[in-house]
Amino acid sequence: MSWHRIAAITIRLLQQFRHDRRTLALLFIAPIVILGLLGYLIRGSASAPAVGIVNQDQGPLGTMVAGALEHSSTISATSINAADGDAKLKDGSLVAYIVIAADFSQQAQLGTIAPEIHLEGSQPGNSGTVLQALQEAIGSLSAGPGTAIHFQPQLHYLYGGPGFDTLDYFGAAFIGLIVFFLVFVITIVSFLRERSQGTLERLMASPLRRGEIVLGYMLGFGALALVQSAEVLVFSLAVLKVHNQGNVMLIFGIEALMAIGAVNLGIFLSMFARTEFQAVQFIPLVIVPQFILSGILFPVSTEPRPLQVVSDVLPLTYAVNGLRDVMVKGADLSWPSLQLDTGVVAGFVLLLIVAGVGTLRRRIA
Amino acid sequence: MSEAFAVDVDNVFKSFGTIRALDGVTLRVRQGEIYGLLGPNGAGKTTLMRMVVGLVAQDAGTVTLLGRRMPDLDILSQVGYMTQQAALYPDLSVEENVRFFAAISGSDGNVDEALKAVELDQRRKSVVATLSGGMRQRLSLACALVHHPKLLLLDEPTVGVDPQLRVQFWEDFRRMAAAGTTIIVSSHVMDEAERCQRLGLIQYGKLLAEGTPDEVRATAGTSNLEDAFLKLAGSAPS
Repeated sequence: MSWHRIAAITIRLLQQFRHDRRTLALLFIAPIVILGLLGYLIRGSASAPAVGIVNQDQGPLGTMVAGALEHSSTISATSINAADGDAKLKDGSLVAYIVIAADFSQQAQLGTIAPEIHLEGSQPGNSGTVLQALQEAIGSLSAGPGTAIHFQPQLHYLYGGPGFDTLDYFGAAFIGLIVFFLVFVITIVSFLRERSQGTLERLMASPLRRGEIVLGYMLGFGALALVQSAEVLVFSLAVLKVHNQGNVMLIFGIEALMAIGAVNLGIFLSMFARTEFQAVQFIPLVIVPQFILSGILFPVSTEPRPLQVVSDVLPLTYAVNGLRDVMVKGADLSWPSLQLDTGVVAGFVLLLIVAGVGTLRRRIA
Repeated sequence: MSEAFAVDVDNVFKSFGTIRALDGVTLRVRQGEIYGLLGPNGAGKTTLMRMVVGLVAQDAGTVTLLGRRMPDLDILSQVGYMTQQAALYPDLSVEENVRFFAAISGSDGNVDEALKAVELDQRRKSVVATLSGGMRQRLSLACALVHHPKLLLLDEPTVGVDPQLRVQFWEDFRRMAAAGTTIIVSSHVMDEAERCQRLGLIQYGKLLAEGTPDEVRATAGTSNLEDAFLKLAGSAPS
């Protein structure tokens, strides 16, 4: 073994990095950006799940439980009218509301506490947090000697249900994300190959219009992406049994929009890379922040305010939200929220097509 | 801008940063002529070829192809361009490559004829990645001529091609030129220059001399083209 030869390889590698400042920057900046984003997102998430309390108890206990809930650090509880509860669950301003019945104190003295908990249900994590907060609030009351109170909450779900688990929640988002990510990577690398193997030069020296190239790519990869979307959807629904309340064709439609968006994003971003190596670097720059901020991992409403602003301009946020609305809540195109989500994603796709055609340079120089 | 000239390059300039790639080049190629663009590596041959097909924008001057001022996309359907690198799709078969390049030029072309011309008809089903360098070069030529272009631009087409096939290439070029195809071929190999009807010697982005091989030799006062080029290049300011 020759250390001289080993050193030659090591030095050559470092020299290559010196000439590729972009890779070097990515190597040192990307981890800080990604970790910083995650740290800010997790530590900076101030808002605890919003819970409404309807206290109808004619005895003293209801007020005490409501008071304990309002002081809870894990949820953000406020008093509401019973009539507003379902509307607030639907518009997303509450994740749950708890109804303390008129005979709550009376029943408690008989040894049973059975509050009604109305859960929005689309985020399994929130349901657990609400139940835990309620148990803690009741536990603080029943700490006296000789009291044995049975806690029998009556759970009502607006969406999902008791069997709605984490996979159901993430599945809806991942169906779209997987297609978006894979199609993006394949397109950007393919388009870069077109450049690096010299065939793009040949295409540009032919009567082909830039729009024809972009459209041809879009249709070719789009066709593949649609087959992939169908496969992902069938596997998720039939094999993984991911919860679905909505129209399967609507899910497929949103997936297809995301796939076409990914093709055009790949074409567009390929203009800013010289090599396949540089193209792959767009994954931590473009895909990872969207993955973190689009509400796939953490609901956008729980993000720190400045990050919510960023999330609101990311197309993936709308796609994920749309897919969840359809699959978890059974939304259809008559829902204004789904109209907004699909509209934004479609607009983004159109914008990328224009950007792709606009930035595809016919001329080498 | 006479239509008698298939290619009319008029006083074009091109710089890349501080490097002047083309410095006031003017050349005219007649229809049905084989025009050799001769010069060492880095002389500006490829830049000029790319400019002719509109891939490189000139800083000044004009380029006219088959009577149409460039850039003009439609006229490119009558142009065949063989790049220096054998630009092909390695995952496609020989036949699929030729068929694709015919299609993007707007013609069905004659794939069989093109493959026979480069002696690849027996390998039509082979995937390009399995071909030798010379075969790829031949396939690249087939892709450039499959749609029967009126103007064929060949950037160093015989690099990596064995001597026997090189002779055949030149016979094919002559046959195509006789049928009316204009051919511009770049090379830095002097014996190929002898096969051209007219030559342009290029160095440092300037056209040093132009004419038939005999005229170029006479201009330089030498008995062979290599000496002529060295003499003319030696007297040119860098």
